Amino acid sequence: MSLLKPFSKLPDLNTANILLVENEEQFQQNLANTLVEETAVTVNVRLAKSLPLPMENDESRPRIDLVVFIINLTSDKSFESAKASLKYLDPGYFLGKVCFMATNARHASVRTGCLDALRQLAVSLHCPLLFAEDQTPEGATSSARRLLTILKVASGLIPNTTALYLSNLTRCTMPPDIDQPSFD
Amino acid sequence: MDNSVKHLLQRLIRRIPASMLKSTLDKWGRLTAENRKSLDFTQSKWTIAQELVSICEESELTVKHITELEMIYITENPNQGMWHTFQLVDPEDDAHSVELMQFKEQFKSHLSELKRNVSVKIKKHTDEAVWIRVAWGDGLSRPNHLKATYVVHYLQTPYVFVNALSSKHKPLLLQALTLSTKHQQIKAANLSGQKLTALRDLLMRQYQQVFPTKYPSPLPESDQSISKLRIEKVQAEASANRHRMAGETFGDGTLPALQSAVFQLETKFKDPTNEAMTQRDEPFICSVKFSSSNLLESLRHCAASGIASTPVTPLLSSIPLKGRNYFVITDNVPTA
Repeated sequence: MSLLKPFSKLPDLNTANILLVENEEQFQQNLANTLVEETAVTVNVRLAKSLPLPMENDESRPRIDLVVFIINLTSDKSFESAKASLKYLDPGYFLGKVCFMATNARHASVRTGCLDALRQLAVSLHCPLLFAEDQTPEGATSSARRLLTILKVASGLIPNTTALYLSNLTRCTMPPDIDQPSFD
Repeated sequence: MDNSVKHLLQRLIRRIPASMLKSTLDKWGRLTAENRKSLDFTQSKWTIAQELVSICEESELTVKHITELEMIYITENPNQGMWHTFQLVDPEDDAHSVELMQFKEQFKSHLSELKRNVSVKIKKHTDEAVWIRVAWGDGLSRPNHLKATYVVHYLQTPYVFVNALSSKHKPLLLQALTLSTKHQQIKAANLSGQKLTALRDLLMRQYQQVFPTKYPSPLPESDQSISKLRIEKVQAEASANRHRMAGETFGDGTLPALQSAVFQLETKFKDPTNEAMTQRDEPFICSVKFSSSNLLESLRHCAASGIASTPVTPLLSSIPLKGRNYFVITDNVPTA
């Protein structure tokens, strides 16, 4: 199995590499355009539909610092594809280098239990869960800004912090009342 | 003017939408200039209908003229009702040389031999289509103009589109068509829908086709901006392949707006976990209908984005390739 490994290649100076994985291949393009506009750091963006990544361009690919799974909550296929792609990540990534981003969380056609399932997944993997609004450019800008914060830490550009330290603060936790029976 | 004729005219005016009424009447050309000026189109349709009835009575217009108006309206707005397609097979040797006047005479004479008291109107549209309007009556009663059948045929092609044909009159119309176009048989083409333009464009391939080429993509651009160089799609080749195969199957650009496809399944039930159903010998009869505002575009998007696996399964690719939207699927043969 071709696992994506976090530390198998050498990093570049003042560079951060991010991989956006999305089954629909829509929002990732907008996010990518906003991410590369960052001037303090050179950001390289790789877009993929699912893992595993093809072996052919393994040589030219830089070391990926942060893997973001973009999941559209209105589509089951999106969630299943992201779950299947998780198997192709080396466990080293789950120490703060993986992030989940959910779109369309407030849409009327979200199946009940879908958001909870995603939360359970993020909690079990100790990863942060972000919510994004994908229909407007402002949505892309604000999600890009949040991703950049995590990305700079994950690529080691912020002194005195590592991805593991940050993940202790940002990781998803289940709200305590989720397990209680509801009263309606 | 007869009551039935007045009723016909009123029904027709009600049918034509208010926005198109003025232009249709102008195209008709049977009203004098002062009549046209006197008609106030800001009134309610009912008032306009009353005024038109009185104008037509004064000018002594007959049923023939009113059916002209109806034909003009339908020719300009063919995307209503339900159109069914038929295909002519086994042409005789001189089928290719049938031209308009010959076809008109032959059709009218054949149809009146088969049934008396039919009213037939044939007109050639600007885009080479022959429009035929048939109002059916029988030996005892006059032709019923309220339920007229419309037929569209493109000479020298084997396709005929029919609207509003009852099963009683179907064999008569089909026989008249077969004889007048010098073919031996006509059969149902399993393509039907509301939009005539979509059916016609699909059958005659009037949309942009994509042909397989050895070198599909042009040379890559060399002047990418710096920021675009930093974004790379990792699986770009797979995605480009999918797009290409979807385009080759369904076409490029705007596709004809086919609105539904029906698959009639008569196959055995196949589910290893359900013993009770798989034990039965009879086929499981089930009907699957796909409907959309533009079915071919949605299927193309499914193939291009990976929702439908590529190469596209023959079940879906037969829709544009064979020009059908009704399929019966049995166990031995994929499309019957």
